[in-house]
Amino acid sequence: MLDCVPNQFQSSSHGQVTTSYLTLERWLDSPVRHISSSQFIMSSFKRKSSSKTQSLPGTRPSPGSIATTITSTGIPSLDDILGGGLPLSCSFVVAAPDPHSSYGELVQKTFVSQGLACKQDVLVLGSDQDALDWVKGCMWFHSSASSNPSLEEDAEDQKPADEEQKIKIAWRYEQMKQFQTTVGSTSVSEDFCRTFDLTTRIPSFTIEKALNDGQLFTCNVLDTLDPTSWSECSSVTQTVLLNIEDVLSQRSSKILNTPLRICIPGLGSYAWGDLRTQDILRFLYQLRAILRRNPLACASIGLESHISTDTWGGPGWIQKLGWMCDGLITLDAFTTNPSLSTLFPSHHGLVHIHTLPSPHTLLPSSDRFSTLRGLSASVAEGGNSSGENNLAFKCTRKRLIFETMHLDVEGGVAERRTVPASSSNDVLDNYNSRVSSIPVPKTGLASVEVELDPGSAAKAVPTPSPSHDDTGASVVEEAQAPKPRLKKAKKTVAFRSDRPDLYDF
Amino acid sequence: MFSPFDLPEDIFLLITDELPSPADFALCQCLVSHIKEKQNSSLRVVLSVSESLTRWQSILAKSNVNLSQQIAAKTFHFIDITPMALVRTDTDKVHGNPFHALYEQISSLLEEGNRDLSPGALVVLDDISSLEWIGFSTSDLLRLCRALRALCLKDQATLIIRHHIVTPGELDPLFRHLHSLCTYHLDIQPLNSGRSGDVSGQIALHSGPNAFPQSAVKTRQRSAALQYRLTDGTAIFFERGSSRGVL
Repeated sequence: MLDCVPNQFQSSSHGQVTTSYLTLERWLDSPVRHISSSQFIMSSFKRKSSSKTQSLPGTRPSPGSIATTITSTGIPSLDDILGGGLPLSCSFVVAAPDPHSSYGELVQKTFVSQGLACKQDVLVLGSDQDALDWVKGCMWFHSSASSNPSLEEDAEDQKPADEEQKIKIAWRYEQMKQFQTTVGSTSVSEDFCRTFDLTTRIPSFTIEKALNDGQLFTCNVLDTLDPTSWSECSSVTQTVLLNIEDVLSQRSSKILNTPLRICIPGLGSYAWGDLRTQDILRFLYQLRAILRRNPLACASIGLESHISTDTWGGPGWIQKLGWMCDGLITLDAFTTNPSLSTLFPSHHGLVHIHTLPSPHTLLPSSDRFSTLRGLSASVAEGGNSSGENNLAFKCTRKRLIFETMHLDVEGGVAERRTVPASSSNDVLDNYNSRVSSIPVPKTGLASVEVELDPGSAAKAVPTPSPSHDDTGASVVEEAQAPKPRLKKAKKTVAFRSDRPDLYDF
Repeated sequence: MFSPFDLPEDIFLLITDELPSPADFALCQCLVSHIKEKQNSSLRVVLSVSESLTRWQSILAKSNVNLSQQIAAKTFHFIDITPMALVRTDTDKVHGNPFHALYEQISSLLEEGNRDLSPGALVVLDDISSLEWIGFSTSDLLRLCRALRALCLKDQATLIIRHHIVTPGELDPLFRHLHSLCTYHLDIQPLNSGRSGDVSGQIALHSGPNAFPQSAVKTRQRSAALQYRLTDGTAIFFERGSSRGVL
């Protein structure tokens, strides 16, 4: 390094090296004038980044490819699933087959809110009476929101549950941080992804300003068409696509440098008429082709519940949808399946990933950079080369969160159970009753003895026995006094050395 | 062509894939191997239904193939079928073959290629399933495939057609007809256990009805399928049980 220092700063003795180094720092701080490359070699390496991406609001380069510009969906965990965000010039479809919930619509509204918050242009296609009414129902953020409220509020939501079920953690694990099942928006700036609050609606003055500034476009083309007069339902999709192309062509003529978000909530609703599978596939195919020609635009489409399953489109319908767009996920809510909501009480539905955007690479950037999916931790990097994580979503009071889904502590395969779980539900009870009716031979049982701790057995409170009055109704004694909580007896398992049989789980 | 299978030229290769395991890498590798083997002495024609030229350029650039140079040298032609496909499904549904103009365009390109360059061109149709889904009839698509196959046989060109399987286990009519025409069938499937960070999918190679019995091509049944792992620009192949996670 000293060889590169200009002559007046060179020194041969160690005692003067520090001085020379400090002098070098001051020299570097001063403006550099006429320094030849032979006198001072400075690394001229600069990370290759497109200046165009730096000027696009609410965007950043994709971690997987510098040629790909991504923008946030407004949900940090969904951005993680997509590999950082939704790439421009790509279409993203959200299927929500549950007719009793509106999780798919939440994703679309967050998409619109994020676009307005980061000063991007937003085009909303109206599938209801008025697209503007739909926008008014979008969520917004608190102006005094902290930089990392998502994880803090998740911890608050889980706090009451944790206080009731204090899990004993071995001392060696006490210092470890709590197991995280989702990602927050700490690693990105608020310009890229805002933290929206579902309890807060977008202010009316924000919408008015966006309309006046030309930032927000609403397209009520569906309301102007009479469903009864359509000779072919494909004309609806063609009219919509023509409107989208008009908007994009007007923007290209003005040479605007702002990304455009196209939001199509409720594709396939009654306002679209009686669409066939061919109409929807053709619509998505044409929309994707339009986006390819307009690299500053991206689209998020929400499918109606009745067209989000194979029962409507026939076998392979979801696969066909996935081939006709760049990204497709299904939010499979538990509303129609009470057993699943009982088995997974902390989640509201499963997330199925069908395809993910990769506009410039073979491998979607999500495979390498998604924390939630878990594919990025490969063996070569010292990680576990297991399969993809199961993903689920939950809607808390304030936000929609995508996270990894794991079995509960009491339901894990790692725990060896000797008595039924205390939180067993009716479904499990019925199952157990069916299983218990099957006679099991004595030789089929494991030779295990369970002994109660003598100390805890003495502290056990006797349960009150019901007594009957003259009318025959059962009356529980000591009903007025509050019952002390029973402490679970410490279980011990003894091994018989004379019969070293295999355990039967 | 297409290492590690070392397929011969002048064949009809049918590539089938599924949504979790797209065959983009196979098409790109076929094109890369053809360009690197033949350099500027042969013609390549890509008929694209879904993907843009930008994506092809980005992916092939990672294999040190400059498509812009190929286009300038007129050894690579990229034909975007999208505008033609959308117009023809709107109108003229009963007026003749909707792919007649496309066939004429390809025929003239191959004639020019044989005149100016050496034979052994490569014609890639990516993909035929999307055309069926947006409204083209199966019979029109089969006519196009048969016409392309006959054209490639006459001009000693290799034809590659990609077809999406959306109902695994159930063969759709279009696949049955395509399979009856093909020389080899490259079957790309996802793993039954789902996605993995180390294994993206598996490839099997089957002989078609038109394959030569004495061919030196080594086929692979599904039970002995080759596994692959995708990178940004290419795929790495390995035998089953020899991935990074196992060894």
